[in-house]
Amino acid sequence: MTESLIWWSIAIYLLVAIGIAILSRQSPAKGGSESMSGYFLGNRQMNGFVSALSYSATTYSAFMMVGLAGLTYAGGVGALGFEIIYFAGVSLVAVFGPKFWAVGKRFGFVTPSEMLGHRYNSKHVAMAVSIASCIFLIPYSAVQLAGVGYLLQGITDGAITFTTGVVLATVIAIFFSYIAGIRSVMWTDSLQAIMMIVASTLVAFLVIQGLGGFGALFDTLATEHPQSLTVPGPGLFSFVTFLGLTIPWFFFSLSNPQVSQRLFMPSSLRSMRQMLLGFLVFGFIYTIVSVLWGFSALAAFPSLESADLATPTLLASEFVPPVLGVIVMIGIMAAAVSTIDSIMLTLASMVSRDVYANVKPNVSEKRQLLVGKFVVPVIALMALAFAELQLDLIAVLSVAASSGLVAMVPAIIGAFYWKRGTAAGALASVVGTSAFVLLMYATGNSLLGLPAGVWGIVVASVLFVGVSLVTKPHQATTDAFFTAIAEELEKKAVA
Amino acid sequence: MKRSKWIWLVWAVVLLSYLVPYTLLSDVSRWYGSFLFWSVAGVVIIALNVFITKDFKENSDD
Repeated sequence: MTESLIWWSIAIYLLVAIGIAILSRQSPAKGGSESMSGYFLGNRQMNGFVSALSYSATTYSAFMMVGLAGLTYAGGVGALGFEIIYFAGVSLVAVFGPKFWAVGKRFGFVTPSEMLGHRYNSKHVAMAVSIASCIFLIPYSAVQLAGVGYLLQGITDGAITFTTGVVLATVIAIFFSYIAGIRSVMWTDSLQAIMMIVASTLVAFLVIQGLGGFGALFDTLATEHPQSLTVPGPGLFSFVTFLGLTIPWFFFSLSNPQVSQRLFMPSSLRSMRQMLLGFLVFGFIYTIVSVLWGFSALAAFPSLESADLATPTLLASEFVPPVLGVIVMIGIMAAAVSTIDSIMLTLASMVSRDVYANVKPNVSEKRQLLVGKFVVPVIALMALAFAELQLDLIAVLSVAASSGLVAMVPAIIGAFYWKRGTAAGALASVVGTSAFVLLMYATGNSLLGLPAGVWGIVVASVLFVGVSLVTKPHQATTDAFFTAIAEELEKKAVA
Repeated sequence: MKRSKWIWLVWAVVLLSYLVPYTLLSDVSRWYGSFLFWSVAGVVIIALNVFITKDFKENSDD
């Protein structure tokens, strides 16, 4: 494919996406985006279909098509198992979703950290969760940007450089969040998700046809790379590594604020159900397709120098018509953008709502929103700087982020299921676990032979329960929180 | 049994997704080994979620 084809395609994509973003704006009469919940939550009026597509686009980033295909290429079928366990973890939405939604509605929460701060009656909890989220999610965004960089560079043979790709994605992400906040982000996400699922499935189909069909592909793998069809397989997925990768991702739907914040947005529980089920169907197809890409690359190009090149090599191969290759490439770039812009918005809402407004009391909503809008590009530029450092295997770094975010999980579960949980417990768990995970990664990520991904949830749970038991819960806010859930959900059941 | 209790079946599928491929299927290097197992697990998860969230039905916005 030629460089001009690529640039023209990017231009067309931008034109369509910007059009959609502008159309997504809501008139001030309907709530508009002039308030915190308007800008960051779409006024809690998002419908199920857009929510499902956007949830998928936010979750599945460049990591899927570049990272998961690469992980399959390097480590075999274990990559599928890893993703399926993550996928099963999204079922947590079926349990926690309605509860998040109910308290969000009752108390007007904008961020998950605000919810925790309220539940445990502690500003410090809200601040700690927000700051820890920034520490882990900014590198995670950087991973997405780097994904775009590798992809464009790989597929154009260096005609578009790594840096050009990274800067391009950053600028687009900032732009999409600025047009109408979460609404423009969700609508452009939806465009990306639809385009991507169609194009990537088509690519998998064409490539597998080119390799002689599904049976022939798996026969080739069985004879030439038999280990790629089993675990531990070629060595990447020892059971301990598998545990370390999967445990944090299992809790992704709770631990990552850019997706847990989505639980505040659906207009009804019916919409939430559509969001969950839509995501699951989408995610399943996407997962299988990405894994098949990795397998196809392994069968067709067994001696690539880096596993991250599996996807670009496949897209540039003779199996894929150039136009389709370009569409998927743009789709992958858009996938990275759709993940980053959601993360930027969520982090910005947390910084303004839970850090700024808590440090400086009595600031107006308007002022909070202004600060939030100012923070968006700051976060983007930090991610850009990280991406430029060009760290090695994409998937591994993004998993470091998940290990760290597991720090929030016991405090979140406790908020809904354990009245005895206290602010001190939540604070110790969040701060202690974050520090612990960072220390683990700084010192080789192995303690008694186990990685941070396994230890994180253990340390977080012990700290939360242990410290809670020796301190006293704030009875009034705890009771109000539990009563609100019961009342909101009962009201729904009767209506 | 309350519908929400079925979530435990999801957790059971997760447990099996750790155990089976690393034991029973660790020598089956064909498509009908771990690849099929985890794919089926994914479909079962979707079906369970459809069932568990059946009560999320009320008509929105008050």
